[in-house]
Amino acid sequence: MMTRAAIVVCWVLAIGLALFLVLPLAVIAAASFSPTPVFDLPLSGASLRWYGRIGRLDGFWPSLFLSLQIALLSTALSLVAGTLAAIAIARGKLPGATALGTLLVSPLMMPGLVLGIALLQYFRMIGFTATWSALLVAHLVVTLPYVARTMIAGLSRFDFTLIEAARTLGCTYAGSVIRVMVPALAPSFLISGLFSLLASFDNYPVSIFLTDVRSKTLPIRMLQYIEEAPDPTLAALSTLILAGTLVLLLISDRLVGLHRMAGTAD
Amino acid sequence: MSEAAPHLVISGVSKRYGAATVLERVDLTIRRGELVTLLGPSGCGKTTLLRAIAGLAPPDTGTIALAGRDVTHVPPHRRNVGVVFQNYALFPHLTVAGNVAFGLKVRGTPKAEIDLAVRRALALVKLGHLGGRRISALSGGQQQRVALARAIAVEPDVLLFDEALSALDRKLREEMQVELRRLLQEVKATAIFVTHDQDEALTMSDRVAVMNKGRIEQLAAPRELYARPASLFALNFVGLSTRIAGQVVGAQDGMVEVVTPVGRLSARGAFQPGASVIVATRPEQLRLGADAGANSAAGRVRSVVFQGSRTLVDVDAGAGASLLAELSGREAEVPRVHDEVRFAWPVAETFAFAAEAAP
Ligand SMILES: Nc1ncnc2c1ncn2[C@@H]1O[C@H](COP(=O)(O)OP(=O)(O)OP(=O)(O)O)[C@@H](O)[C@H]1O
Ligand SMILES: [Mg+2]
Repeated sequence: MMTRAAIVVCWVLAIGLALFLVLPLAVIAAASFSPTPVFDLPLSGASLRWYGRIGRLDGFWPSLFLSLQIALLSTALSLVAGTLAAIAIARGKLPGATALGTLLVSPLMMPGLVLGIALLQYFRMIGFTATWSALLVAHLVVTLPYVARTMIAGLSRFDFTLIEAARTLGCTYAGSVIRVMVPALAPSFLISGLFSLLASFDNYPVSIFLTDVRSKTLPIRMLQYIEEAPDPTLAALSTLILAGTLVLLLISDRLVGLHRMAGTAD
Repeated sequence: MSEAAPHLVISGVSKRYGAATVLERVDLTIRRGELVTLLGPSGCGKTTLLRAIAGLAPPDTGTIALAGRDVTHVPPHRRNVGVVFQNYALFPHLTVAGNVAFGLKVRGTPKAEIDLAVRRALALVKLGHLGGRRISALSGGQQQRVALARAIAVEPDVLLFDEALSALDRKLREEMQVELRRLLQEVKATAIFVTHDQDEALTMSDRVAVMNKGRIEQLAAPRELYARPASLFALNFVGLSTRIAGQVVGAQDGMVEVVTPVGRLSARGAFQPGASVIVATRPEQLRLGADAGANSAAGRVRSVVFQGSRTLVDVDAGAGASLLAELSGREAEVPRVHDEVRFAWPVAETFAFAAEAAP
């Protein structure tokens, strides 16, 4: 039983923390509408001029496409491979299944920098120098754990008597999987896909070691812009990314409920 | 089909998992509209037999016929059985009504008919008002009813219950036992219950099949099962009893004379002289005092347990033998602990069983 005072303290802390995390985002969003070329709050009227300049940033489009390409592709591959791996680990009578599961998820616990350096060294060693492919493989290492972890959890919570129940009610085995197992696992699938997409799209520490001058992912390109010419264009771009992420989150919430993503409820 | 016609015929069904024989040549015939319980200790093969009937675990040998059709090799989705699982196995992504409609939807029943059937099934289990609820928003007892409604809605040829009531608390379970029996008789369902609770078996069923190590030891109406157990196992598993070991010294016309530590006893049973047997009787057969022509034994009262309408008296008859007597509330005198007493009981209610290791 929590006392009233403890509850109040908890809420104040939570709200304070949320403000601390959200305020910078709000400031960036506000600054993106600034009419002047300095990071400033647009007190004297808003302007969209910086948004118009995003597309004219040097190398912006190739970087955006590269990032989207890598994010979508690595997510798609992770979803397939991660789901199959999860089935083998959670369901199959695989020797050492637990160890395998831990191994698969372990990159999550590794600092990105370490992972990036290690991959760079390793790729050099085996002569794997194609930037695009190296980037894809590296991002697979980053995204696969998200999918594997979520799908293993989802599968181990799945009650296989549901399939038997469906079969006795008139479903074939395949029909039972489609009618019962797929709906039950769809939230895990969507959520892990979303996590994987975001993890890849905004990955910096791993990508930085594997990109070259001609192919830079968007986060790396953005850092370069900051160093070269800090003006509100970057704030505008950040705001757009933020808005895109919000839209994705809202869609997922509609589809499966955000509480599942936070893992605070079943 | 007439009421008495065999509806479910299981013959010679065996099943093994690896080296373990889980079902051994099980024969069981169930009439239309009958409620039969499979009663037995954990691991005796009850669930396995149920799964064989449902088609979820086909037997290695033997045949299963349902409603006049050999279904031994028919997959579960074409058997028309209804199963109520121990954990209910309700579909969490569907509402109460969605769960109940599931079987009919899969069968391609027209929507109007589905709606009608769902409403009827939910009304039957008294959940008509909860059709739109999510499964996670139901109590255990309500989930149990939804599982039942879902199984009934498809009008299966046989309903199978695997420890369907065991997850409910005691009071609710006893209520559901009575209600379930009434409901199943109302819809004229043929049903098999699996349980290891003897009270549930006696309450719910027309006949009880006592299972032991993959075999059916006895199939009988509850009253007969209690009064005429066919084996020591059945005797022990259902109800209380007095059991005294001894040696057969005379045999005639289905009766045996047995020498025991408490004296010479007569019992029903066919054994050769010299055989080691257990002589047994039910506690309510014992009466205080001697009685010419009846079996009797004396001893010192070890404990007296008052249970309202009855009193249980445990007597130390010496040489490791004990007597268990149940005296009804009408009995004038009830002995006290340490009293020296003599009990008598009718020869016709005394049985001899081959002495085997008790379970
Ligand atoms: N799929 C399986 N693989 C191997 N052995 C099994 C399998 N299913 C059941 N068994 C074994 O068969 C035996 C009978 O199991 P079953 O589930 O039929 O028992 P039960 O009578 O239902 O017991 P309980 O009352 O505990 O549910 C057990 O020894 C069990 O270990
Ligand atoms: Mg069982």
